[in-house]
Amino acid sequence: MNTSELLSGLAADVGHAPGQRLGPGVLILAVLVLVALGWGGMRITQRVRDRRTVSKPEPPWSAPETAATGAPQSPSSRTPASPQSLPSVPPAKGPSTSQSLAGLPGSQSLAGLPGSQSLAGLPSSQPPKGGWAVETHGLTKRFGVTVAVDGVELLVPRGSAFGYLGPNGAGKTTLIRTLLGLTKADGGTMSLLGVQVPAERSRALARVGAIVDEPRFHPHLTGQDNLRLLAAARGGDAEQRIAPSLARVGLTDRAGDKVAAYSMGMRQRLGVAACLLGDPELLILDEPMNGLDPAGMHEMRAMITSLVGEGRTVMLSSHLLDEVERTCDAVAIVDHGRVIRQGPIDELVRGAGAAVVQIDCAEPARAAQLIDQAGIAAGTALAENGLTVTLPAGASRELIADINRRLVRADIDVYGLHEARASLEDWFLSVTSRLGDPS
Amino acid sequence: MTTTEPSLSEAGSAPVPGHRRTPRTGAWLPTWDLITTKNLEIRKRRGLMITMLVLIVLPTILFYGLRLLFHAIDPHTYAPAGNPGLFSQVTNMTAEFGFIAAAALGAAVGTTDLSDGMFRHLVITGRSRLALYLARIPAGLAITVPLVALVFTMGCLVTSYEGIPNPTSVSMYNLTIPANLDQIELQTWLLDNPQQIQNSFLPGVNTGPGTTTAQIRPAIDRNIATLYADYTASELSGSNPADNEMVKIGLWLELEIGIGFLVGLGFGSLTGQRTTTTIVLIALEIIVTPLLARTQLPYFIDGQRLVVGIAMDQLRPAALAPPVGTGGPGGPGGLLFGGRGALGIPAMPTWAMISVIVGWIVGWSGIGAWRMITRDA
Repeated sequence: MNTSELLSGLAADVGHAPGQRLGPGVLILAVLVLVALGWGGMRITQRVRDRRTVSKPEPPWSAPETAATGAPQSPSSRTPASPQSLPSVPPAKGPSTSQSLAGLPGSQSLAGLPGSQSLAGLPSSQPPKGGWAVETHGLTKRFGVTVAVDGVELLVPRGSAFGYLGPNGAGKTTLIRTLLGLTKADGGTMSLLGVQVPAERSRALARVGAIVDEPRFHPHLTGQDNLRLLAAARGGDAEQRIAPSLARVGLTDRAGDKVAAYSMGMRQRLGVAACLLGDPELLILDEPMNGLDPAGMHEMRAMITSLVGEGRTVMLSSHLLDEVERTCDAVAIVDHGRVIRQGPIDELVRGAGAAVVQIDCAEPARAAQLIDQAGIAAGTALAENGLTVTLPAGASRELIADINRRLVRADIDVYGLHEARASLEDWFLSVTSRLGDPS
Repeated sequence: MTTTEPSLSEAGSAPVPGHRRTPRTGAWLPTWDLITTKNLEIRKRRGLMITMLVLIVLPTILFYGLRLLFHAIDPHTYAPAGNPGLFSQVTNMTAEFGFIAAAALGAAVGTTDLSDGMFRHLVITGRSRLALYLARIPAGLAITVPLVALVFTMGCLVTSYEGIPNPTSVSMYNLTIPANLDQIELQTWLLDNPQQIQNSFLPGVNTGPGTTTAQIRPAIDRNIATLYADYTASELSGSNPADNEMVKIGLWLELEIGIGFLVGLGFGSLTGQRTTTTIVLIALEIIVTPLLARTQLPYFIDGQRLVVGIAMDQLRPAALAPPVGTGGPGGPGGLLFGGRGALGIPAMPTWAMISVIVGWIVGWSGIGAWRMITRDA
């Protein structure tokens, strides 16, 4: 029986007389079926291709010469937006990468963190004793022509509070969404707690708790019912953890209230309680301080500290530098979808040469000229009451005395010198101003 | 409203019990807990539940309640509430309103996780997205099925206890024929009563003044099977439904409303927009389907038959269809449920009817599940 006869038979069955020409209805149906099959085939092909793309490792990362020398990059040197163009993180593999990282402002060493080892100088990023809580290589996510996450290399040691820091629109939330499988990556590899995602996403997420963007829940349900819903999805012992989780975030008394009546801060707490249902080894918190009053922020910091104290890893995304500095052991700075620095906060700030001396003196302009000509400082800037001198990386206190001597010899009256250790914010602004604005 | 926020520090450091038992969240089959909690989430939507009650339960209570009341006050003017006509009307109305209510419920179930921001939380648990979708189906049907059963039970009880005796005659094609005839008896009766047939509109039989038995015999002999099917269908539609007929009607009603829910769920999951989904499905039920059913497009008849409302109409049990020759043309009868479409589309073969219905259920469920799996959270 050929196709025509088969269709004729079908047509007869659905009401046409045998031998009669096919009605357009049947032809349209046949065309629709063919279109659906073709479209389905294309989707399957696309999915297979996507899967291959995500699981395919990126080529070894290496930093350009400019990065290796530690010289400030000009805006032009940052483009095109290639993952290889920034001295962001320790490379995944390859001896060349360890060389390229030497001498970077901002040490890449994660030594001193729980379970971490120094990354600088290693031929490859040796995992710490407990392994990496989060590990990405060349992770890329695009929205059309916009690259939201651009070849991100990120290593978060276990048992630490890790800040993922960047301005609004830098791609922080997109990276988190990609890590959690909320959206598909366009390239690169990633793993959570040593488990590959998306290949073993369910297994990885069983030990991860996360808040992404502002925590929203079914407003018509109580806080407790919302947690029941999530506990049912988690399975296992999650149901038994509802009451302790609510107690931990201080919502026991309000657990029976509808979420619609919760304040923003209470929803944040409920979000944290939802994270705790799975007894997570890794918590990923996206802007957890949003909507909290100062007391709430203080308590959230205390809770994060206590969670880390229990051996959990907390990855904290924020644009609030002060909060990250107070809460985290290490940070990664992200801008325009790329990680531009990462490491322990102390080392980054110290290593970046961000210590400054504020000098109260007569003739600050001449003093600045004198210091600049001597080439002993990283930079000078006239301030309201004198002069601010930025010390180079690794400068000792002797340099401050030397500056004082030079000014006195030059007959410039010095009324006072004050050494100020730069904050993360100072360092962040220093780094981003050196990088310039690529847009 | 002033709320007092508890202090995190007051919460103390109540430890969260540890565990190392990793649940199998990747399994695609939903767990019982997942279904029951989803059902809880739906039930707690007060507005949605009120809509369901208003559309499914309230009309039946109103119709039967008022008719019971009127009949009690004025039994001569108002027939008993349990007459077959009212049963048919109320059941058909329940099917129409029930489909709309179920579609609205499905649209809500398919979209509110997304609109409330819970979808992201659920995905982060690691639970299979397919399991999350499949859990919605029994969770939603657990609401529609009991509601429809409740309403239908009310109708059956009123029909059983407040009904009327079965009629002794059957009306079809402007003929009044004694009831309870078998095919041979019907054939004999038709041949014995040519005078009555003169004024009838029997299909396939040339009638007119002075028609004799000899003139009509070949046509009646040739068409007796069709005429008998019409006769039984008319008899069923004018009689109190028998027990087995009641069961058929109940199942048909549950199927109709279940389809409404599943299509709403799938379409809602596809669009992610509750209002749009509800409006489109209401338009499908009360505008598109009746228009296509009442207008036969000669070259698109099979296309028309792909509309689920038309396939379901073909499955409509005979007791719910209008008597033959009094309404739409109907079909030949003898279909799966002994049904005969109330609308104007010629009958479909049983396999085609079932294919369309199964296609809509499986197709929309598949589309909804696919979108759930691929959607960015």
